[in-house]
Amino acid sequence: MNIIEISKLKKDYALGKTTVHALRGIDLSIEKGDLISIIGPSGSGKTTLLNVIGCIDEATEGSVKVGDREITRMNDKEITDLRLHHVGFIFQTFNLIPVLNAIENVEFPLLLMKKQSKVEIRKRAEKLIDEVGLREYMKHRPAELSGGQRQRVAIARALVTNPDIVLADEPTANLDSVTGAQILDLMKEMNRIEKTTFIFSTHDANVLKYANSVVKIRDGLIAEEA
Amino acid sequence: MQLIIKIAWRNIMRHRGKSLVIGVILFVGALLMTVGNGVISGMDKGLRKNIINGFTGDIVLVAESQESDAVFMDMMGKSVEPINNFKQVDSLLKTVDMLKDWVPIGKNGAMVLNEEGGAPGFTFLIGMDFERYRRMFPNTMKAVEGRLLEPGEKGVLVPTGARKQMFEVSNIWFIPEGCGIDTTQMFPEAKEALSGLVSKQNIVFMGMGADNTSTDIRLGIKGIVRYNALNHIWGHFGLVDIESYRTCLGYISAKDKASLELSDDDKSLLEDDGTDLDNLFSSDGMMTDNVFASTSVAAVETVPSTTVASAEQPEAVVTDLDDGAYNLVLVLLKDHEKLDEKVKLLNERLKAANLGVRAISWKKAIGAIGSMAVLIKSALFLFVMFLFFVAIIIIVNTLSMAALERTSEIGMMRAVGARKGFISTMFLGETALLSFFFGGLGIVVGYSVVRILAALKFTSDNDMVQLLFGGDTFHPLLSGGDIMLAIIQLAFVTLLAVVYPMSVARSITPLDAITRE
Repeated sequence: MNIIEISKLKKDYALGKTTVHALRGIDLSIEKGDLISIIGPSGSGKTTLLNVIGCIDEATEGSVKVGDREITRMNDKEITDLRLHHVGFIFQTFNLIPVLNAIENVEFPLLLMKKQSKVEIRKRAEKLIDEVGLREYMKHRPAELSGGQRQRVAIARALVTNPDIVLADEPTANLDSVTGAQILDLMKEMNRIEKTTFIFSTHDANVLKYANSVVKIRDGLIAEEA
Repeated sequence: MQLIIKIAWRNIMRHRGKSLVIGVILFVGALLMTVGNGVISGMDKGLRKNIINGFTGDIVLVAESQESDAVFMDMMGKSVEPINNFKQVDSLLKTVDMLKDWVPIGKNGAMVLNEEGGAPGFTFLIGMDFERYRRMFPNTMKAVEGRLLEPGEKGVLVPTGARKQMFEVSNIWFIPEGCGIDTTQMFPEAKEALSGLVSKQNIVFMGMGADNTSTDIRLGIKGIVRYNALNHIWGHFGLVDIESYRTCLGYISAKDKASLELSDDDKSLLEDDGTDLDNLFSSDGMMTDNVFASTSVAAVETVPSTTVASAEQPEAVVTDLDDGAYNLVLVLLKDHEKLDEKVKLLNERLKAANLGVRAISWKKAIGAIGSMAVLIKSALFLFVMFLFFVAIIIIVNTLSMAALERTSEIGMMRAVGARKGFISTMFLGETALLSFFFGGLGIVVGYSVVRILAALKFTSDNDMVQLLFGGDTFHPLLSGGDIMLAIIQLAFVTLLAVVYPMSVARSITPLDAITRE
């Protein structure tokens, strides 16, 4: 069963008087529970693709379905709710709320959902914090954590709502190679435990070691799927 | 909400510098606003107390033919029209429940003749039954030299302001009968001129009648008086007994009215067609006694004079003072609230009774002074609003900058599912917390400042400052309503200041955050 269906997706940016064609007609299907890596050179359209899938950016043309929802026709409120309930995000750098500690950051999306009691929310957040190996640091604020630890908190937060998909845009870009490898290992492990679809972009040459499949993008088009 | 307060509070603590800037602005704004409200409130209550309860009453009745409403301070110098039927007006007023008391007075201008040959002066005269006037306005003045008028006594009370004015024009220093010059009551210019100073114990007033005839009266000065509040304003009105006033202004005095009342014999004499001349000459009507009606409110009347004459020689004629003409009726209400409604109501009653009299509010009657008070009050209010406008601009700017600096954080919140409403509430929460603590502190400190200022009892002799004070003494005060008003103003300012930054924050998208990174 496909969790994501992308058809003839185009995304153009106006850059002064010229138009940049970031995505030139992407067709892509991703199965539920998959762990996919999107790779490609800088400017190839990786981040744009992830942004459109995650409803952070709007498509110029084409169709994007997350689950059975056509996201290109949603209004702001629907898009926000989709992100809250069905999509988890892990970004390169701006990841956590600076004034909340690790456990509070993980709890944040659940508090926005207002579906569970505080006790249930805390229990769920603690489970995720445990799974990413940060029990000792759960009361630490982002400024008191290392880059790797922050990304672990981000992964826990991305998974806390049991989303359909987790999108990670170069989550290892700002980490050293050892820490980067640990984060990718963790994502693979979480994919196995939580059965959540992971789509991440990376420069890591050993990406095949972590991903079930790889999508290569070049000049806004899919060059190869493996 | 708990999450928002937690984030808001921690953000305030995280951005201490900016929070402090906004906090200080809110503190100063709330402080100035509270003190400003206290001054305005004190001024309002002071003016009400000192003008309404000390000089004009809440409502002033004037003749319908009276053109200008500014009957106390008409800058055009026009005479105030007389009310010749006060007794009927009095009867009507007795049937109006909302009225506490009223007193009729005469008010117009008169020349102060200079018997030394110099230029004449001018003063406003208020003619009154002093005893009745004092019953309605007790403790508004005191005699600084001499004494006040006794019941039914003829004479003039000269306020210190009028004496100063007369001195400046005529170089004559007026003193009460039987008193010497009291140098402690003299202002510096008078003291300097002491050696060659001419002092007088009576004043010759020259009033102009409606038929352009003039009448001079000499009145003995019984006392030099000082008003307890707003003396520099009320101090320009000389206070004379009502019958002398009427004589001076050429009005029908109570005695004149009594003289016009004819006996049955007089009437039959006038109605006689002349067919029986013998009977005419043998009638007793040719030799009537001067017997007039007597009432409880009585005064001893004098002979009106067209030359300089003493108006104080008593005659054995007892009259009802209310038979004569007045210019104004000063009315005190039981409850000072909803003045305009009550003026309207009273006007309806007066109109229905067809008495040729209408009611105006004290603010209109007082003319320029009332306008000046409103002007000062408005200026003060505008000043406070201006401060807040400046405060709003600074807060808006600071918060907008803060919103833009937090693009990554806000964008990330939106990316993980925070709606625009959450971002708005978070911003509002931060500003509201700052407003609550710093603004609240400003109100508390402002309240203390108002209490301290009131306790210090600053006084001033300056007319404008007295208007600002609402009296001689600065007495700002804050009621529960004023504090509530300050809180509402603070809340309003907070809301106004946060609207634009909130819209800036709401417009931040996750993409903005990524782009910024």
